[in-house]
Amino acid sequence: MPKYFQVIKITFQEYFVYRLNFVLWRFRSFVQLLVLYFLWSALIPQGTTLFGYDQAKILTYILGTSIVRSFILSSRSVDAAGEIASGTLANFLLRPINYLKYWFSKDIADKILNLFFSIIGIFLILILLRPPIIIQNNLTIIIFTVIAVALGIVLYFFLSFLLSMIAFWTPENIWPPRFLSMIIIEFLAGSLFPLDILPVGVFKALKLLPFTYLLFFPLNVYLGKLTTQEIFTGILISLFWIVVFWQLAKALFRLGLRNYAAWGR
Amino acid sequence: MLPGEDKMKVFKKYLKIWLKLTILAFSIDLSNRFTATLAITGKLIRFLFFLGFLFLLVGRTETLAGYDFYQVVFFFLTFNLIDILVQFFLRGVYHFRGLIVSGDFDLILVKPINPLFRSLFQRTDVYDLMTLIALVVYMIIFVAGSNLTVTPLGVILYLVLMISSFIIGLAFHIGFLAVGILTTEIENVVWIYRDLSGMGRIPIDVYREPLRTFLTIVIPIAVIVTFPAKALMGLLSWQWVLFSFVISGLFLFLSLRFWRYALTQYSSASS
Repeated sequence: MPKYFQVIKITFQEYFVYRLNFVLWRFRSFVQLLVLYFLWSALIPQGTTLFGYDQAKILTYILGTSIVRSFILSSRSVDAAGEIASGTLANFLLRPINYLKYWFSKDIADKILNLFFSIIGIFLILILLRPPIIIQNNLTIIIFTVIAVALGIVLYFFLSFLLSMIAFWTPENIWPPRFLSMIIIEFLAGSLFPLDILPVGVFKALKLLPFTYLLFFPLNVYLGKLTTQEIFTGILISLFWIVVFWQLAKALFRLGLRNYAAWGR
Repeated sequence: MLPGEDKMKVFKKYLKIWLKLTILAFSIDLSNRFTATLAITGKLIRFLFFLGFLFLLVGRTETLAGYDFYQVVFFFLTFNLIDILVQFFLRGVYHFRGLIVSGDFDLILVKPINPLFRSLFQRTDVYDLMTLIALVVYMIIFVAGSNLTVTPLGVILYLVLMISSFIIGLAFHIGFLAVGILTTEIENVVWIYRDLSGMGRIPIDVYREPLRTFLTIVIPIAVIVTFPAKALMGLLSWQWVLFSFVISGLFLFLSLRFWRYALTQYSSASS
């Protein structure tokens, strides 16, 4: 366990090596937040509703999505593909370290930083722009939200790790598969807009897929839009997909290692 | 350019270099057809997702800031056209940091080619060429089937203002290169610009003041995206057309000054 704690510590230190890069990266997250805020404030002015959302609900969804996405849809395991492609993976195979646990530890450091700076970003927006947002005060709903977010973190970790495994077969070009996947994941997770504005049939089908449980589900739990039964169903579907991706990630890693020739080492 | 050198000859030389670099980029990007297909599919899906969102949105509201469905979609198509054009030509900027950090920029400086040209155009985005062709075809079909009134003057103004938009995009990318030399940081700056320019997916008139003025003068997203589309629809006054040329000239002038200053600060790190 202490070795993985060291990984978390080193990851923190890595972030602060290129400080300007770090500052601009955080500033960019803030800009993204502002862009979404201005877009939705313009689309749904105060006193109007669209797709069943008034301004307070949609801004809570958008700003909430921004926080949740900063620690669910951010995973350092994307870099595992680079290690496989460059042959650096060989260094890890020779050491007494579990590759999955190594990347999960890096993710923890990443998410702590993201959470911290996202809260600062939201805080700045709340102070500067004073948007109408919904503060949830129901403890049960808050606990369910935390559970949904935790499940989303684990689900995305395995999904992202799984995508990195593609590098075993396409080491010379690892960006396109990740690019395509991220576009689909982000959209189907509900990062651009709440998924329940889609036609009913499409929305029902999306609820069976894993992506809904990354952003849309935790945010809807927080907004109190789901019944207890719907929450439990959502948690069960999340667990199902976690097991599926976990097993697939392990299987693909083993299969990939058979194909791996440590190029460049 | 050396004193006394024929301008036409210089132009031909650089065109030849660009073609060589583009052919090399094609060879690299299309070496693996599977990943090339994935990249192009990704770009098309991203486009279709947002288009679908606009269909949903304007289908429900009927108008957006006074613009009807066809106009809103045309703004979005114009945004994509200029965005893809800039990236098709200037993708090299995304690779510039590697040159600075590794010190390989020295190798560009010692060659008898303008280092700014080489840095800007070192990589042509093949994937964007594919999406560009698809987009232009779709735009023609869309405009032909829409209720937009298109006049020959509108089309000429649209094309001229697109050049002006490209110059502003070029100026920003020259600025990014300069920032890259001064700080070794470039990627996040480019992405901040791209996030902001994403606000041009819908007409800038939708946003409230003072944001609208900010997006017209400081980061002129309105000039880049909204102006050409408005010109085609006959909704842009000549004063704004003039403003567009002035601002593109000003941005280009300032970016070139910034680039020259940055070059004087280059310290050849890592080499």
